[in-house]
This record gives sequence, C-alpha cells and structure tokens, in this order.
Amino acid sequence: MRVKIDGEHCTGHGRCAKYAPNVFILDDDGYNADRGNEIDVPEGEEENAKRGMKSCPERAITLVAE
Amino acid sequence: MNETRADMEADPEVAPEVLKARFGRDIARDFDLDDPMFNDRFDEVLTFMVNKCPISFSKVGTGYHLVNTNEQVRRVAQDWRTFSSAKGYMPNRPEGLPYLMPEESDPPMHTNWRHKLNPHMSPKVIATYEEVIRQDCNVLIDTFIEKGECEFISEFGALLPGWAFFKNVLGVPIDDLAMLVEGVEQGTFALPAEERPAHMARVFTYLDTHLKWRATQPKRGDVIDTILEGVIYDDGTEAPWDHKVSILVDLTFGGIATTTFVMSSAIHYLAMHPEVRQQLIDDPSLIENAVEEFSRVFPPVIALGRTCTRDVEVAGTEMKEGDFVMLTWGAASRDPRAMEEPEKIDIKRETILHSTFGVGPHRCIGSNLARLELTTTIEEWLRRIPEFSLREGTAPVYVTGFLRSMRELQLVWPK
Ligand code: HEM
Ligand code: SF4
Repeated sequence: MRVKIDGEHCTGHGRCAKYAPNVFILDDDGYNADRGNEIDVPEGEEENAKRGMKSCPERAITLVAE
Repeated sequence: MNETRADMEADPEVAPEVLKARFGRDIARDFDLDDPMFNDRFDEVLTFMVNKCPISFSKVGTGYHLVNTNEQVRRVAQDWRTFSSAKGYMPNRPEGLPYLMPEESDPPMHTNWRHKLNPHMSPKVIATYEEVIRQDCNVLIDTFIEKGECEFISEFGALLPGWAFFKNVLGVPIDDLAMLVEGVEQGTFALPAEERPAHMARVFTYLDTHLKWRATQPKRGDVIDTILEGVIYDDGTEAPWDHKVSILVDLTFGGIATTTFVMSSAIHYLAMHPEVRQQLIDDPSLIENAVEEFSRVFPPVIALGRTCTRDVEVAGTEMKEGDFVMLTWGAASRDPRAMEEPEKIDIKRETILHSTFGVGPHRCIGSNLARLELTTTIEEWLRRIPEFSLREGTAPVYVTGFLRSMRELQLVWPK
C-alpha cells in the first residue's frame, strides 16, 4: 500500500499520526513530515493508515494506485 | 439528503411555509445565527441544515451564505484564493472592530506568521505542559470537591483553559483572567452587536500594554518573544506593531473563549451517561478518542466567514464577488454523507472526521493545546469524582451566535 500526502492541503491537524504513529510522522511544526511525497505503508499497518486517512479533515492523504 | 441548491428548492420539507411552521422562520433562506431559536434547538437545526440545506442564506444585515456539508466546507476552506479571510470572519462586522491576525489574513502574510508561530504550538511542545495542566485540574477540583457540588463553568470550565494558556504560553499572571474572559465573552455575544467593539478594545489595550512591557524585558524564548521578533512580509516590509498586538489578541481569544464549551459539554454528557463514564474509568486509554468525539458533537465555533474574491458557484448556488460566506463547521461535523450515524455520540468510533478545529490553512493553531486540556480534565475529573450528576431541577444554560458557549452547569456528587 502506497499513499501520497498532499503538500498544500496538509495543515497539521495531526490526526494521521494519532491513528498510525508508525506510518505518519509529524515534523516540529506538527505537520505531516512527508507532505508533498509518497510513502509506503509498512506491512501490517494498513488498517491504522486507513483510519488516519479517513480522519484527516483535509483529505490530504490519498491512496496511490499500484 | 439534498446535494445542491436545486435539490433543496425541490424538497417539500424545505418549503418556506413548512419551515416557518416548524422553526418560526425560513431557516433555508433567512437563517440567523443569533436567533434564540437556534440556541434552544441547536442540534435539531444543525442536523436539519446539513441534511436538507447543503447551502442556505441569511438576510440579516447585508446577508450571507452558509455552506453546510462536509465536502463543500472543506472545498471552500481550502480555496483561500477564492474565499478570503482578509475581510474578517464575522458577518455584518460591527464598525470599529480591529482585524485579528493570523485569522483575518490570507497567504502569504498568513503563512509568514504561521511558520513563525507553529513551532510553539506543535504536539511535541504542547505535551511538555501536561504536568502543569494536570496539577491545575487538581488545584481547581480541591477548591470544591468537599462541598459535593459545584457550578462547573465558573469553578472549573472557564478557568482551566485560561490558566493553561496564561501559565504555559503567555507567561502572564492569572489574576487578570476574569477581566479578559469577560471582555472576550462580551466582545462575542453582546447585543446589540454594536457594543462588541468596546469590549474587545479592553482586551486589545491590556495585551498591547503587556507586549510593550515584555519588549523591555530580557528574552525568554517564548511565543511572546517570537511575536515581538515579528516577521518580514513578502514585500520586504516588517510586520507593524498593531499586527503583533492582534496576533496576541487572536491567540488569547482562542485560548480562553472556546475550549470551555467542549469541556463543559463533555462533563455534562458524562454526568448524564453513567455507562460511558464507567467505560472511561475502566479503560482510560479511551479518553483521547472520547475527546475527539466530544469535539465533533460539541463545537464551540459554529461558523466562521470568508469573502468571495470572484464570482463562484458552490453546491449549485451562484455567489458574487464580495459576497460573505459562512463555513458551518458545526454542521459539516455531522454530515451523513461523510460518516455513519452522525447524530449518535459514540466514544468508540473507529474513525472520527470533524471540522471543529477548522479546515484549510487557518486550522486552529491551539488544537493541540485544546486536546491536551480536554484529555487531562476528563482523566483527572473521573479519577477524583467518578460519580456525579446534574443537580435535579437544573439544566445547562447556553448562549449561541457564531460561537456557542455554556453559561451554567450545576453538578452534585456524594460527599
Ligand atoms: C476546543 C477548542 C477550540 C476550538 C473548537 C477552536 C476552533 C478554531 C477554528 C474553527 C479555527 C479556524 C478559523 C478559521 O478558519 O477562520 C480556529 C483558529 C484559531 N484558533 Fe482555535 N479553537 C480552539 C482552541 C484554541 C486555543 C486553545 C487557542 C490558543 C491557544 C486557539 C487559537 C486559535 C488561533 C490563533 C486561530 C487562528 C489561526 C489562523 O488563522 O491561522 N484556539 N480555532
Ligand atoms: S491529519 Fe491530514 S492535515 Fe493533519 S497532519 Fe495528517 S495529513 Fe496533515
């Protein structure tokens, strides 16, 4: 599973990291540290990642088609 | 569920005379945030609006649109180029009210300030305040626990957020809190609205004086020093003094005017639901999720506005350049198009999607602090006062405008 974090739309709600701390890391400002990039979701973390995606008020995290 | 303005107009339940009979006014075409009916039937009205009125209108003053669905609120909030904050977030803004930064500004000016301020409000930094906040919860509980009763707002809810903000963020004595809370409350809710600027002016004067004094003091490396340092705008000019004061006012405003409502509503809910209380006592790890759910259903910031910078269409409604648009955060957080059973309060919800802290670049800068205050309050309250209820014969007292606030909550518990 691969996801993209939108660089403009992430505004630092931090919900993604709450639900999936092993997938989404926040930077020192509290924004998704990988915004603007795509990342691979580690095996076994898919469900957490999905919860994080669905809770993002900006819908800033989207699935990347493999 | 209606998706567009045309669906709404075709829905017999949204016909003007039907709405007048049910709500006393045509809330689809002439809504009023300050109508006492909205205060009294808050949940019913918000739920009706999000289901039936994707977009509604108010004729109050110069009039404003209200955008009510989760998707459209997000779209409008993210599109700051079309929907500008620079003309303010209040509809029919009273004459003489100074603008608040960063809230009432757009990028790039807004971004300059947020970059500067964000590091002070990040989850990492806010987490370091936890022990002080926890202690303060207990200091407050100590003042009334033996009585077996309290009026929650004046004895806890209106104090803790102010203490947390003053001690940890502002670094000012808490003695002046009451005056500032009063100024902010009256500056928000006073009627007629023309009286509001005078109340806000007191808050400005106080914080202006404080900022001037801090400029003469040794640096502490806190948010005040960061504000004093200022920012350089993209045109090369330095942020003027009045922008710095307004940053401080905005932070203070947010710091003391909002969290109280979520906190009081959560405690009220727990007073009424012993079974949920027991779940949280048995498993305190559920509290963070409960705080998220409480934030979703008890929004203190009901709606904030933007001004259209060009003609644009939203959910089938034509908006003109210069039109004022309210984003109804409170409605968007209970949109059945975006979540299951939104009217149900479920602290174990798998995913919680809400817009209580706003959406887009203006996302609440205090959201991490507010969440910590709420979590800590519920943890300590349930630890110290596991059993409590609403005083018989009383009910919470609310006041609603573009913000919602609780004025009174009488609680009792076994001594
Ligand atoms: C439960 C408590 C709170 C709620 C529901 C809340 C809600 C909001 C909302 C909806 C916005 C978006 C404004 C917009 O889009 O125009 C906002 C912005 C803001 N909030 Fe909060 N807030 C809360 C607590 C706080 C606290 C504790 C602080 C300060 C420590 C704070 C300071 C601010 C500031 C400065 C802004 C403006 C941010 C910007 O324009 O970039 N808020 N808040
Ligand atoms: S929840 Fe969304 S907006 Fe918030 S930090 Fe994560 S990606 Fe960014």
